[in-house]
Amino acid sequence: MNLDRLLQQHPELQRGRHLVPAPQPAIASGFPLLDRHLPGNGWPHRAITELLVSGNGGYALALLLPALSRLSRKPPWIVLVAPPQIPYAPALQAHGLDLSRLLLIRSTREQERQWALEQALRCGSCSAVLAWPGRLDMTALRRLQLAAEAGDSIGFLLRSSSAAEQASPAALRLRVEPAVDGWRLDILKRQGGWPMADLMVTTDH
Amino acid sequence: MKQWLAIHLPRLSLESLAAGQDSPLAVSEYRAGRQQIIICNQAATLAGVSPGMPAAVAPALSLSLRILPREPGKERAALEGVAVWASRFTSHVALAPPHGLLLELAGSRRLFGGFRVLLPSLQRGLGELGYGFHMALAPTPEAALLLARSGRRRWVTDLAGLRRVLGPLPLALLPLPSGRLDDLQGLGLRSLDDLLALPPAGLRRRIGSEFMDWLERLLGRAPDPRPRFQLPDCFQRRIELPAEVCCRQALLFPARRLLLELSGFLTAHQAGTQRLAWTLGQGAAGERCFHLGLLVLERDPDRLLELLRERLERVELSAPVREIALEVRDLQPLAGRPLALFAEVEGVDAELGLLERLRMRLGVDAVSGLQVAPDHRPERAWRWADPGSGVTAMTEVERWRERPLWLLPEPRQLRVQNGRPWLGGRLELGVERERIESGWWDERPVARDYFMARTASGRRLWVYQELHGERGWFLHGCF
Repeated sequence: MNLDRLLQQHPELQRGRHLVPAPQPAIASGFPLLDRHLPGNGWPHRAITELLVSGNGGYALALLLPALSRLSRKPPWIVLVAPPQIPYAPALQAHGLDLSRLLLIRSTREQERQWALEQALRCGSCSAVLAWPGRLDMTALRRLQLAAEAGDSIGFLLRSSSAAEQASPAALRLRVEPAVDGWRLDILKRQGGWPMADLMVTTDH
Repeated sequence: MKQWLAIHLPRLSLESLAAGQDSPLAVSEYRAGRQQIIICNQAATLAGVSPGMPAAVAPALSLSLRILPREPGKERAALEGVAVWASRFTSHVALAPPHGLLLELAGSRRLFGGFRVLLPSLQRGLGELGYGFHMALAPTPEAALLLARSGRRRWVTDLAGLRRVLGPLPLALLPLPSGRLDDLQGLGLRSLDDLLALPPAGLRRRIGSEFMDWLERLLGRAPDPRPRFQLPDCFQRRIELPAEVCCRQALLFPARRLLLELSGFLTAHQAGTQRLAWTLGQGAAGERCFHLGLLVLERDPDRLLELLRERLERVELSAPVREIALEVRDLQPLAGRPLALFAEVEGVDAELGLLERLRMRLGVDAVSGLQVAPDHRPERAWRWADPGSGVTAMTEVERWRERPLWLLPEPRQLRVQNGRPWLGGRLELGVERERIESGWWDERPVARDYFMARTASGRRLWVYQELHGERGWFLHGCF
């Protein structure tokens, strides 16, 4: 059995410097420089991606928009669970997001937000779910991961960067900071590769 | 040839008062000059209580025994509830009080795929409603009732077979006038066959014409029209709970019974509903009413139960619940679901399913979509909308290219230093500016110069300067 096949069949084995192609399909992020460094060349499908941000992380939405816009062209929902502010509809539309597929969930209770997040991931009728969850422990994260697998969706969790030290079963973890004309990303965890720091991704329009 | 199905509910006195009770329970009635136990549940039977026992003696056998007086009104309501549910199978339902029901099934036989499918379906449904029953099928109503009351499960489809089945029945089962039973048994008659072997004229003189007429109806020699049970136009049913209920989970059992009856009612009317009005009676603490509103017409009891389960989470129960009532007035036509040749992917249902579940649990206001509105003023260029209704008019896209992704609910005034706006550091303003002057027609005029700004840490912001008045600087959005 040669080395490549072994690495493909066992994603927990990692090679030193090169990325192993991911077994799950991925959604292209719209930023080629980022895609090159992500397993499968995109956001991992059927999994949770954690984005660790400072403040309320509004600047990170633009990083996800190209992928969300593409996903919004097909039937199921794009769900936003408890965003810190209301996203501005004309801007979303300008980026190509189909507003008729957008579902916004607002609730004051943390428990209800988590329940809604899990329901949306699991139901099979959402292609992507963005959430700003509060404190999440390992069990809750694992449940969300399983829910994303069961429901064939992508989950994006925007959490505060203090959660970077916490272990997490998410398939992909990035720390996102704003930078001139774009973002500075540190890849904290990715499948089939080592962590990577200081990736500068620019918006190119 | 008509086919009558008789359903006898032997434990209706108990089940109409208390469903699914584990603690010992018995029902008493005033008979033969004293209060007697007429029926008791399994826990009471194990303790030694039996029908016929005086009600004064029974509590000595079990400390936790509760004795409820028989309530014919509730039995009648429960019987009518079952009749409403049974209307989904046939249009001709007749009550045979106090504990019986008749369904005329000749017309429904073909529609439901034959008795082999129809009868088990009926049995399952009655089991789900929570009633113990005996069933029998016969060409005449009286015969079916007789067989069901005596606990004999017989399916007889023609008159010749009926005569054969009824023949061996003992005389004690027949509604003979009082005293005659002993006389006839003294003559050596044991079964219906023996009785029918005697000359009818002499029999009529001895037993009376009422019994003989009944016999004629039994054997199908005389007509026996039964008035149809009239289905009410709206569904109203109330179940009193045997014990106070404090947790929501326990409410689902009686709620399920109500939903099953509702489902039968709606099927019989070929309709669905989008609005269910529930009332939880809390005794002295009053009543708690709430509505279950649906996005589409529905009559499936399982789905309604799921939605009710989510909706109940939002209902505050300040006091224990003693009764639960359901009223449905708003009916609209809903055809039955056509059978699909191939299994279809449940796409549309699943989407609506998520939306409804979220709404039930979180409230209608918590779930919404967004829409753009044609207005130059940025804060009025968007609106809340029903999910799925935002129309994508891509014509005006280019002009909105530079709108921020997040708009502050209220513009925030910025400090000014050296003529430049300041937010945690000097803000770098972009070169281009956008002038928006609009809104003179509805008392909210806007006259602003918008700029793209960048903070020291690299975040992009949308700020504006007022053109009139103090010419202050404000932050309006973040990119």
